[in-house]
Amino acid sequence: MIQVQDLKIHYGDFVAVDNLSFSVKPGTVFGLIGPNGAGKTTTIKAIATLIEPTYGEIMLGETSVLHQAEKARRMLGYMPDFPPVYDDLRVEEFCDLFAHAYGQSSVERKEKVEKALAQTELITKRRELCKSLSRGMKQRALLAKTLVHDPLVMLLDEPGANLDPKARIDMRKLLRKLADEGKTILVSSHVLTELQDLCDEIGIMRNGKMVVSGSIEEITQRKQSYRTLEVELLEPTTQFPEFLEQWPTLSELKQTHESKPHFEISHSGNREEIPEILSQMIEHGLKVTSFSTRKSKVEDLFLEIESGSSEFDQN
Amino acid sequence: MNPLILKGIRENLRPKHLIAAGLFSLIVCSTVYLTSYLEGSEGKYSKDPQTKEWVKGESSPVNGARNAFTFLLALQGFYLMFLGTGRVASITAEERESGLLDYQRMTPMNPLSKIIGYIFGIPAREYYMFFFTLPFLGHAILVGKLPWGNIIQLYSVFFCSVILYHLTAHAVGLVVPKPRAASWVSRIVVLGLYVVLPGLGQAGISFLSFLTILPTYFGKILPVIREEGYQRRNHFDYEARMADFWQDVPFFDFMISPTTFTFLMQGLLILILLITGYRKWRNQALPALSKSSAFVIYSIFQFLLLGCLWTFFDKGEASGLIGHELSTNEFSGSEEKLMGLIIVVGILFSLSFLFILCLINICCPNQHLYLKGIQRIAKFNLTRIPRMADESSGLGLMLILGIITLFTYSALIKLALHSDAWVLNSSLVSLCLIPTVTLLLTVMYLQASREQWFNLGFWGFVGLLWITPLLASLVLGVGWGEENLGLILKLLAINPLSVVPMHWVYEHADIVKLPQEITQSFNSAIWFGLLIAGIFAIILQIRLFYIRKK
Repeated sequence: MIQVQDLKIHYGDFVAVDNLSFSVKPGTVFGLIGPNGAGKTTTIKAIATLIEPTYGEIMLGETSVLHQAEKARRMLGYMPDFPPVYDDLRVEEFCDLFAHAYGQSSVERKEKVEKALAQTELITKRRELCKSLSRGMKQRALLAKTLVHDPLVMLLDEPGANLDPKARIDMRKLLRKLADEGKTILVSSHVLTELQDLCDEIGIMRNGKMVVSGSIEEITQRKQSYRTLEVELLEPTTQFPEFLEQWPTLSELKQTHESKPHFEISHSGNREEIPEILSQMIEHGLKVTSFSTRKSKVEDLFLEIESGSSEFDQN
Repeated sequence: MNPLILKGIRENLRPKHLIAAGLFSLIVCSTVYLTSYLEGSEGKYSKDPQTKEWVKGESSPVNGARNAFTFLLALQGFYLMFLGTGRVASITAEERESGLLDYQRMTPMNPLSKIIGYIFGIPAREYYMFFFTLPFLGHAILVGKLPWGNIIQLYSVFFCSVILYHLTAHAVGLVVPKPRAASWVSRIVVLGLYVVLPGLGQAGISFLSFLTILPTYFGKILPVIREEGYQRRNHFDYEARMADFWQDVPFFDFMISPTTFTFLMQGLLILILLITGYRKWRNQALPALSKSSAFVIYSIFQFLLLGCLWTFFDKGEASGLIGHELSTNEFSGSEEKLMGLIIVVGILFSLSFLFILCLINICCPNQHLYLKGIQRIAKFNLTRIPRMADESSGLGLMLILGIITLFTYSALIKLALHSDAWVLNSSLVSLCLIPTVTLLLTVMYLQASREQWFNLGFWGFVGLLWITPLLASLVLGVGWGEENLGLILKLLAINPLSVVPMHWVYEHADIVKLPQEITQSFNSAIWFGLLIAGIFAIILQIRLFYIRKK
């Protein structure tokens, strides 16, 4: 749905985005991750038609953002990283303004505004002036405004930045639901745990370049030749290290808790081998209380990128 | 209804605003109106020539209403032109800074609808306050027996000016990067365009005076107001002169009514501002004017200059102070008349130079934009950047603008040479050669500097080259005027605006009775000015060529 090709954005001599290419499939949530100054907001603004790229192409389906900006804007909903709102408008008037600007009739507007307010749980705040809202509420009002014209593509820059934990969870659920309904969502965030559960795919940016992109599992497998198994036994035993020595694909036994028999093991074999390992453990008399494959974490990947690990560079 | 106008009404006209602004307007308006009405309607004391006693005249409601009308108009202007303009500039700049304007930019509304929404929606409260002055206006018109035709003309121009001012403020808010700067720049631009520039109308370039409602007021309303109260007011000679001055505008060999001419002038400016607003709404990064619109606008500007100065160069008749001086025979000698002509030629060139400087700043691409153009042609497999594209070099266009200026100038000079009104002892070629070279060299170095430096570098260069020598010559002139005349003239000649008047003085040295040695100083200063302009033009063009090649 979103196709970014060879995108370059210069501010004078400074290169904010450098040869960026990535794509987002329809009905998926794509997370852009990167340190401050990586070029995430600039990229989102370029897709939102707010910055003219120096070079490159951005497509929304068959529509070119650069050459058919008016058409592209009808497909887009954009929410910036801080919530500017019209302070002297009521929440429902704020949403109505944008529904009106998108050419909806008064009946249609009423219905769409009602729906957007319900989705963002702002029904009780509808008559309040925007200036009286907390930052979190303003963020919700902004999301309601973004939803009111039913965009196919949503660009959300740090959507959870000002929300309390419950509101964050609600926002995540709402975005997931919108994606399941067919909307394509591009989201940038610093809250990496938030992206872990929300995004189908992620892209990690550094210095204006896309360092790596794909699903979290894909990236992990692409970049790591092993996976981590987590095992917990009922009681400590010397049999466990002996058992591991029989399996050439298992290595690096690490006890993660001093007082508990809780271990991490590196596994370099294929995925089909894992059930066999568990059944052999039980046959050897090991009292296994917990056995799992550790889910790869976005934080781990991000930290590796941050530390400048060159193995992640795509180019 | 336009969503942005509806937004403006919702934001600015909630019940508390309606009550507060309504009461404020009503109180101020009734105070101003009643005070001026009562003061004007009261019978005035006059000395009876027979009895030699002071006698109080009869009270006249007509005089009172006519007197109050002017004050009411000033109050209406304060609401819409002062308060409204400030609000449009500051809100536009604030919304741009906060990002709210980005939301609007992303909506599929037509840019023109957005501009209309902003210029009518933001000052909704000021329009509401204006509404409270209408009952008083009705009273002034009916009681003062003011002709409806003239009132309609005045208020058409009044609202045209209001739209023009609000559009200026909106364009400034869209263009200037910082809200605080936008607020100041909008004030300066409004003052410059609509107060300072009309002042140049007094120097014979009458079209500049028609940027305000004053010509229509002086031409259409003041004569009516003076009709009844003439006896009482005839000591205000200024009013009488103004009323006479603004009756009709000479344009080529025609006379145009001040209202029509004001509409023409304001229409041109509204067109420029709409183009700027349209482009900025489409894309914030676009220059304020495209090359083709700059060409059209500059051509219209030169046409207006030509039309307004036609009768001056042809018959020696002019409006404003210059015209007054000529008609009262204060410029009776050929020397004085020539000085009047040199002043007008100087203003003609200065205005053209400054207009071209503004267009160079707007339409010539900086290095960043040029680089964007280079990358685009690579992408689209073009051999070169299209000439009229924003990214292409502005040299060609600016030279064309220079040639248009020279065409206007030479047409006027030809008129003057064939006119009985002027005694000139030079030929067309000798009067056109130095201005042509000066203009073209200046355009070349300004364009080259704009395209290789960013804002600070460009304006710093222009400031250092044009203003510093001027200030230095001022200091030298005050301190050591006679001893250093040659140096002072050379410093003055670095600024191209002074080269043309200096050349005129040199060409007519015998008429202005200039001593031989001073004439030589003028001559060497002119050549020095041309040398400096030539050096800068060559060096900067070569430097630009190498930067682009790299």
